[in-house]
Amino acid sequence: MTQDEEVLAESAEDLFEDAPCGYLTCAVDGTILRVNRTFEQWTGHDRAMLLGRRFRDLLAPAGRIYHETHYVPLLEMQGAVREIALDIVRADGTRLPALINSVRQPDDSGRPRVVRTTVFDATDRREYERDLMRARRREQEIAETLQRSLLSGIAPLSADLCVEILYRPAQAGHEVGGDWHDAFWLDDERTAGLVVGDVVGRGLEAAAVMGQLRSAVRALASTGLEPGPLLDALDRFVARHRVGRMTTVAYAQLDVSTGELLYACAGHPPPVLLAPGRRPGFLWEGRSVPLDSVALGGPRRQATAQLAGGGTLMLYTDALVERREQSLDVGFEHLLTAIDRHSGEDIASMLTSVVRAMNDDHSDDLCLLAAHRRS
Amino acid sequence: MSALARNNVNVHGNPAGRPMVFAHGFGCDQNMWRYVWPAFEADLRIVLFDHVGAGGSDIAAFQPDRYASLRGYADDVVEIARELDLRDIVFVGHSVSAMVGVLAATAEPDRFGSLVLIGPSPRYIDDEDYVGGFTEEDIEGLLDSMDANYLGWSSAMAPVIMGNADRPELGEELTNSFCRSDPEIARQFARVTFLSDNRADLAGVRTPALVLQCSDDPIAPEAVGRYVAGRLPESSFVQLEATGHCPNLSAPQETIAAIRAFVGA
Repeated sequence: MTQDEEVLAESAEDLFEDAPCGYLTCAVDGTILRVNRTFEQWTGHDRAMLLGRRFRDLLAPAGRIYHETHYVPLLEMQGAVREIALDIVRADGTRLPALINSVRQPDDSGRPRVVRTTVFDATDRREYERDLMRARRREQEIAETLQRSLLSGIAPLSADLCVEILYRPAQAGHEVGGDWHDAFWLDDERTAGLVVGDVVGRGLEAAAVMGQLRSAVRALASTGLEPGPLLDALDRFVARHRVGRMTTVAYAQLDVSTGELLYACAGHPPPVLLAPGRRPGFLWEGRSVPLDSVALGGPRRQATAQLAGGGTLMLYTDALVERREQSLDVGFEHLLTAIDRHSGEDIASMLTSVVRAMNDDHSDDLCLLAAHRRS
Repeated sequence: MSALARNNVNVHGNPAGRPMVFAHGFGCDQNMWRYVWPAFEADLRIVLFDHVGAGGSDIAAFQPDRYASLRGYADDVVEIARELDLRDIVFVGHSVSAMVGVLAATAEPDRFGSLVLIGPSPRYIDDEDYVGGFTEEDIEGLLDSMDANYLGWSSAMAPVIMGNADRPELGEELTNSFCRSDPEIARQFARVTFLSDNRADLAGVRTPALVLQCSDDPIAPEAVGRYVAGRLPESSFVQLEATGHCPNLSAPQETIAAIRAFVGA
């Protein structure tokens, strides 16, 4: 007999017993009816001890819960399950990380007769997957820490001005976003610079980009540039250094003694102006496209407005008004209604109430900045 | 948002009939009632739903603080009952949803007529002379187990449908939803489920209850089922021959017969 013929003559019995995976045949209730030698060797349990026991009794308590709440229903509903990760407890008490595939074998009338299971040793794979999970969680933590530190700073406060920020990160499980806010004095505590921006993308990279743009705005603002020219300069910064393309940003300069407001929005939702005793309204002028998006025919637009004593200017990111199931117009209308309804509250609680009223889904970072000019 | 959309509520059966609300447990969705509810649809109004985070529910509606305890899930049940204006409800809750039903019926007793509690446990963790069957370390292990399986499934929730020649329609639907849930929400649901303690809530239930106890249930052992029946003011206890934790799947006929005998439907 040649070697090939010997291989082909290998009995089905040998194939079963010494297969490179564990084999189990169980009754429908999980009672083990048959096992192969590989399974015995991997687990250290011998056949006599395994037969008649339930498969789930070989699992650790946690695995038993998973088995009962996921594996069993899936098998009942689908007739088969694939790649379920479970730890089998060996005879010596150590764990065998395994991947389980099972198929229900019906009899002639279609009723389930037995369940056939293959067991693969997944020790290395499981360790690698744990590393991946750890790396992922760590990245999330780093991004959150970075984002927090990049957003630090003390908001300007004077007898004439009060600035409140509401920053709500996306809920756990979502990556950090690239929203930022900033407020600073420009010169002699007479003019305040107010910024809210939104970088495209998520995670560590978006947080880092946000940090660069936030610093760039601060630096440009300190040179005395007005909002339109400042956004032009920021545009050049973005294009030259290839950082933060398509970022949207609203920038306003408020003279707190006169209430004169200069503002410009690059692709950003319009600021809201709330004057005492009047319905709030959007500042729809001074608009241009997002940073480094399309070539502009001329300088970016800016506009002026007047913030009356006792009035409030609000900047925010689009997560406040964007909803999957509704148009942006509806979101804008809801926002004005919400601000109107809560305009009697102090600024900090107004922001909280507005966010609650807007019923956001926590899937994205959310940032609001309100500058209140005292009367 | 409407609770009906949020919880993917599906209504079948007799619109004029007594309402029967089915609540699935941890790990699955409303599909797990598919062998049971059709037995009641001729007479009763059948209401199926998914807990937020499972099946076809609106995952965006998940608020970590609302669902930090089973009360949030019970509030959802009450909201569904209000929106459909259900009265004299037969509430059928499996596993953790047995306690969700206990809380919902306590919050709004006028809407609930009967509670059917399948494999209930008011507390899974051992405590002094109470034996729930698990330790806190076991539950941490469960979260690891879920992580390991989330990785395995993330790109491969496409089970090969075998042994279902008699029910080919199952294939597509199951691939899309059954046992699928948002991994972060599932982690929190696992914590809330297995770390909650609702023993003190049992005595306040005014609704008559049936405890359906499986044989050899590794999640809710018989002693726990008897504990629940013993603490509920008005209860009956039925021991099923079915083994495991999901008699609604493994022994639907026996489950149906026991529910029928209790509610007289």
